[in-house]
Amino acid sequence: MKQSSLIGELIEALRCLPGVGPKSAQRMAYHLLERDRDGARRLSVMLEQAAEKVGHCSSCRTLTEHEICSVCASQRRDRSLLCVVEMPTDVAAIEQSSVYSGLYFVLMGHLSPLDGIGPDQIGLDVLSARLAQGEIKEVILATNSTVEGEATAHYVAELARSHGVSASRIARGVPMGGELEYIDGGTLFHAMSSRQSI
Amino acid sequence: MAQSNNRILLEPAYVLHQRAYRDSSLLLEVFSYHHGRVGLIARGVKGKNNQHRGLLQPFVPLQLSWSGRGELQTVTDVEAIDSMHQLTGQVLLSGFYLNELLINLLHRHDPHSDLFDYYRYTLKQLDGITDSRNEAWVLQRSLRLFEKQLLQEIGYGLILDYAVDKGKEIEPRALYQYVLGQGPVQAVAETSAVSLFKGSSLLSFAEQRLDDPQSLKDAKHLTRMVLEHYLAGKKLHSRQLLQDLQRTTDTAMMYK
Repeated sequence: MKQSSLIGELIEALRCLPGVGPKSAQRMAYHLLERDRDGARRLSVMLEQAAEKVGHCSSCRTLTEHEICSVCASQRRDRSLLCVVEMPTDVAAIEQSSVYSGLYFVLMGHLSPLDGIGPDQIGLDVLSARLAQGEIKEVILATNSTVEGEATAHYVAELARSHGVSASRIARGVPMGGELEYIDGGTLFHAMSSRQSI
Repeated sequence: MAQSNNRILLEPAYVLHQRAYRDSSLLLEVFSYHHGRVGLIARGVKGKNNQHRGLLQPFVPLQLSWSGRGELQTVTDVEAIDSMHQLTGQVLLSGFYLNELLINLLHRHDPHSDLFDYYRYTLKQLDGITDSRNEAWVLQRSLRLFEKQLLQEIGYGLILDYAVDKGKEIEPRALYQYVLGQGPVQAVAETSAVSLFKGSSLLSFAEQRLDDPQSLKDAKHLTRMVLEHYLAGKKLHSRQLLQDLQRTTDTAMMYK
């Protein structure tokens, strides 16, 4: 059956979502049109509003529809601590665990020289300006445990030190409930070398 | 002409670069022992419980198996051999520099087994370096010797022990100019001072010593000039990053 051009365009548009190929896009389009018109209307309104209004927080670069995001604006947070993460999803993960009460800075990626992504592409100029204000006393580096994440952590640490701010790196090691037998050598190496006396 | 299905088993290899592809796959640029630089795809490795995920990273000595046809073949098995190289800080960025050189200067499917061994050797050298300033020269020396080996392997080896114009041995005290594509020629009076190299530096580089600041500086200058020529205008981002980092570190030193 040949689809009408509007449905065809909807299917094509849905394919911009990650992990959605032609088949899933078609299923989504027919579901929205056949079974859930209200959902479809709501989706289109929300998408339009979000695409119009959501931007980056001018303080920490995370996604928000306000000038300053709710975490940065909160008076209850410890404003001398700054946690540097790669993505807004990392902020969500840390917030969910409620182990941290300071502020964040979201890089929106990591240094990747081989892709041509340097300090300015991940907003380190913004971070540098923020460190220069002198409010922050410690920077916590919570970038991913990949080589690019490590390189980024090192670079940001040096940047912090150049502003006279101390920097620390989150620990790596055996995960909760982890059995040593199944842990890779790299993780074991870090677990051993950063062991603590008890 | 249809290419036959190719199956490579347990090939010693390093990942030079990886980037995400689709939801859960990785596109890899790999440097292998028998097959040189190859492009591979690792499917479904970004899943939560995938054991290969942590291994498919730069600077991990691997044995890779892959199969398929055409330019982009599929990884079928990954095993870590040896312990991984623990590069940190500035040394890690230097590791990226090595990888960027290999990606830009090696052609795909050109085997370079000697260079592979030398790459592994260099990573082991870098592995032993901590960030202390005393060991900065170990890092610089390792990088220069790798660059020299790389140029040698791709057919642009440096000539460092005789002057190509007269065929005479290099005099330690004389000054030389390095002519691209040829080699050192004795400097004449009007040659500008920036592109001159001391004979003793060239000899030190030839003998893999580089044990004094002057020869280290000259070697850096020389390899940079030659590499720039063969990179034909391609910019090395990791070098830029290292320079930015150096500036930041210098500022940081003022607070110590």
